[in-house]
Amino acid sequence: MKRVLTVLVAMATITGALAGVSAAAYAVAGLAEEHLFTGASRLSNIVFLMLVFVMIIATLLTLAERKWSALMQDRVGPNRARINLPGIRNRSLAGIPHILTDVLKMLTKEDFVPGAANRFLFKLGPILAFAPVFALFAVVPAGPSVTVFGHRVDMVVATPDFGVLYLLAIASLAVYGTALAGWSSNNKFALLGGVRASSQMISYEVALGLSLIGLFLAFSSVQLPAIVGDLAVAGADATGQARYLWRTDGPFDLGLPAWGIILQPIGFIGFFAASFAETKRAPFDVPEGESEIIGYFVEYSGMKFGMFMISEFVEVVVLAGVTTALFFGGHHLPFGGEWLASQPLMQEHGWLYGTLLGTVFWLKVLFLIWVQLVIRWTFPRFRYDQIQTLGWKILLPLGLANVFVSGALVLWDPSLRALGVVGLLEIGVLMVLTMTKQESAEHGAHGGAHGAHGGHDHGHGHDAHALPSHASAASSH
Amino acid sequence: MADSHTMPEAKGHNPDTDGSLPPEGELESHLQAKHMVINMGPSHPATHGTVRLKVELDGETIVKIDPEIGFLHRGFQKSCENVTWTQCLPYTDRLNYLSAMMNNFGFLNAVEKLIGLEIPERAQYIRVIGSELHRLTDHLTCVGATGLEMGGFAPFLYGMEARELIQDRVTELTGARLTTSFGRVGGINRDLPDGWADKVRKTLTRTEELLVEMDGLLTRNRIFVDRTKGTGIISADDAIDYGWTGPALRACGVAHDLRKAHPYWVYERFDFDVPVGEHGDNYDRYLVRMEEMRQSIRIIRQALDTIPTGPIIVDDWRIALPPKPEVYGTIEGVMAHFKLVMEGIQVPPGEVYDATEASNGELGWYLVSDGRGRPYKVHVRAPGFPVLAAVPHIIEGKMLADLIPTFDTINMIGGEVEQ
Repeated sequence: MKRVLTVLVAMATITGALAGVSAAAYAVAGLAEEHLFTGASRLSNIVFLMLVFVMIIATLLTLAERKWSALMQDRVGPNRARINLPGIRNRSLAGIPHILTDVLKMLTKEDFVPGAANRFLFKLGPILAFAPVFALFAVVPAGPSVTVFGHRVDMVVATPDFGVLYLLAIASLAVYGTALAGWSSNNKFALLGGVRASSQMISYEVALGLSLIGLFLAFSSVQLPAIVGDLAVAGADATGQARYLWRTDGPFDLGLPAWGIILQPIGFIGFFAASFAETKRAPFDVPEGESEIIGYFVEYSGMKFGMFMISEFVEVVVLAGVTTALFFGGHHLPFGGEWLASQPLMQEHGWLYGTLLGTVFWLKVLFLIWVQLVIRWTFPRFRYDQIQTLGWKILLPLGLANVFVSGALVLWDPSLRALGVVGLLEIGVLMVLTMTKQESAEHGAHGGAHGAHGGHDHGHGHDAHALPSHASAASSH
Repeated sequence: MADSHTMPEAKGHNPDTDGSLPPEGELESHLQAKHMVINMGPSHPATHGTVRLKVELDGETIVKIDPEIGFLHRGFQKSCENVTWTQCLPYTDRLNYLSAMMNNFGFLNAVEKLIGLEIPERAQYIRVIGSELHRLTDHLTCVGATGLEMGGFAPFLYGMEARELIQDRVTELTGARLTTSFGRVGGINRDLPDGWADKVRKTLTRTEELLVEMDGLLTRNRIFVDRTKGTGIISADDAIDYGWTGPALRACGVAHDLRKAHPYWVYERFDFDVPVGEHGDNYDRYLVRMEEMRQSIRIIRQALDTIPTGPIIVDDWRIALPPKPEVYGTIEGVMAHFKLVMEGIQVPPGEVYDATEASNGELGWYLVSDGRGRPYKVHVRAPGFPVLAAVPHIIEGKMLADLIPTFDTINMIGGEVEQ
């Protein structure tokens, strides 16, 4: 009971904190528009979206990952660090002081540069690894455009015409950091890691871009705000993912939203798997492969290593944010969005509406981060050639087929309903594939190893894995 | 003379003077590729114990691999020659430090065979229980580490929980977690503690639950299967040629288990199966180990249910220490105690080879006695040694990433290989 209560309190705290920061972001953006020049809200958004939200979530994620993996593995997790202040002297505070100790450790460790390393490139590596992932979030809309203090405020840093292409371009820059780190360390293990990383990241960029084309076709845009879409308020038609494929009539809207995951499940799986490979986290962590080659950052210490580590966590947050915007309806509610937007209170106080939907966005992001953590701690590592097989022989043809099927369906039925039906069918097929036990096939080939004493259950715990990665893993043979 | 000096330079290619353009032939030739030699170990996360693997790589493919042992050499054989037979026991702990009791009992069994001694039935039961407990810990570590080194941390920690529970029971029985030094020539030095059997049954139940968890995380995990199935293959003939024994050999399809082939102690009284693989790959080795753990649990359950009462060590003061009241109360007791401690057990001259089925295979002991009370020669046939010797045969031409699961599932233990 106490445990459930703790969890509930923690969840409420997190939601409250997200709402609070969202509200602050909208208020500051409004004030900036009011007192500075027009468009100053974009500058405040840089601070709030990229520094406050992404960085703080990434920092907390270092702890959350350790705590969550501990939960999955029958451990307690970090609880040793204490703050020597009256009242909290003997409390572990859920391990939060560990963030401080980690940072202190990183910053105060010897900053070692190997003698034979190329000093310039060696120092450039972590910077090039960190900066691109950090810049990725600039095009992701984290909330609706609302009117605050009489000014229009967008909760996005930049809305360039090329939209998602910016994401793909900047994401592919990150490979330089890893490749340089591996090469300039003048270490054979690091070199192996760097080569593995660059080949993996470059191959998966193809699948990454291809998996999104179906989505561009469906929404006729490459801009994230357009893909997220606007609600049908004040007579205008809903656009993007704010639309409903089917909906009930009446003031409270309830129906099947035109979210990317429903229209493009294959695209989603391809995108999620490919971007997972880009983040270089398990099961795609062969460049790190700590039990084989230790990794491309083996020679790095102190904060340089910390940059690689934190960029991995920033990637997790950014990936979750981008996926939310592309496939999970961005800041839109699954139902009742139009009803909420038409409430007089919401129309009167734009910042309140923005705060609510901003919180919705960040909660979806947190959910996707959680999915990534579950995948990270459930699967072993691929082999190097298996990753390439998955990328080139499975994700790429799958993405190509998806482009043609989606294109045909969009052309046939511009209301996207046909696409939605096919998408739901695809989800159903994937669910069935994931849940079915291939007991007979597996055992026919390898049954000999079980001796005469059969009858033990083999199909355990397999269904609990998250669908996306599982489906991609299941098709990787 | 001057001509002969200048002629070759004038005709040949001089990179310093001919500009940056390479000669025509070099443009056509293939890109120069060099093999990379890397050292895995002696300190490497994937080496159990301390072993150095010199790996020559062509890209990601292993061209040549050269395992180099000796980093854990402690002079086991020579040390044993300088102490009494009983004092050898702590040295045997450190051979395979994951299953010390098996080494203890295997050594004692060989000494008893040399003496021609039959140990009490209860002692035989306790030896079976202890051996199977340590077979469980050894396999748990091996399977867990296989998962861990392929990137799955959870199965390792589930395995560790089960291992720690068993380790607690072992501590209650022997007084030590790893270096048990349990048993004496002629039997066992202390009986099962009160209520220990029930605790063990509970531990086994929990272990079974954790095995189901590990099984669920690994056995049908697509990535795990892809990484292990069809990698690290060795044929049954090759395995026998290299001298493989134990689970690694059984995974090749050879149903050879000393517990069945030459039953020792009371193994023939228990109902258990010997799991046999088919392909001799990493996946089969993993499955065999998983199944052997279930069989070990079966054996322990049966042994705990049927263990008879009675003495735990032979009543012979030339071999076993006399009871303490006799030592403090009678002159015969004092003398026997003194002679045993100072001179050791007077093992008759002769030589013997005896083997037991340890967790990784046939743990053989070749003992020579000259009747002095100390071993003249102790040689261990460590199951890990032939297994390690076959690594180059298995892995050359395969990928670097295959080395890790292969090295895990063959479960070579540094301590026993290098003695």
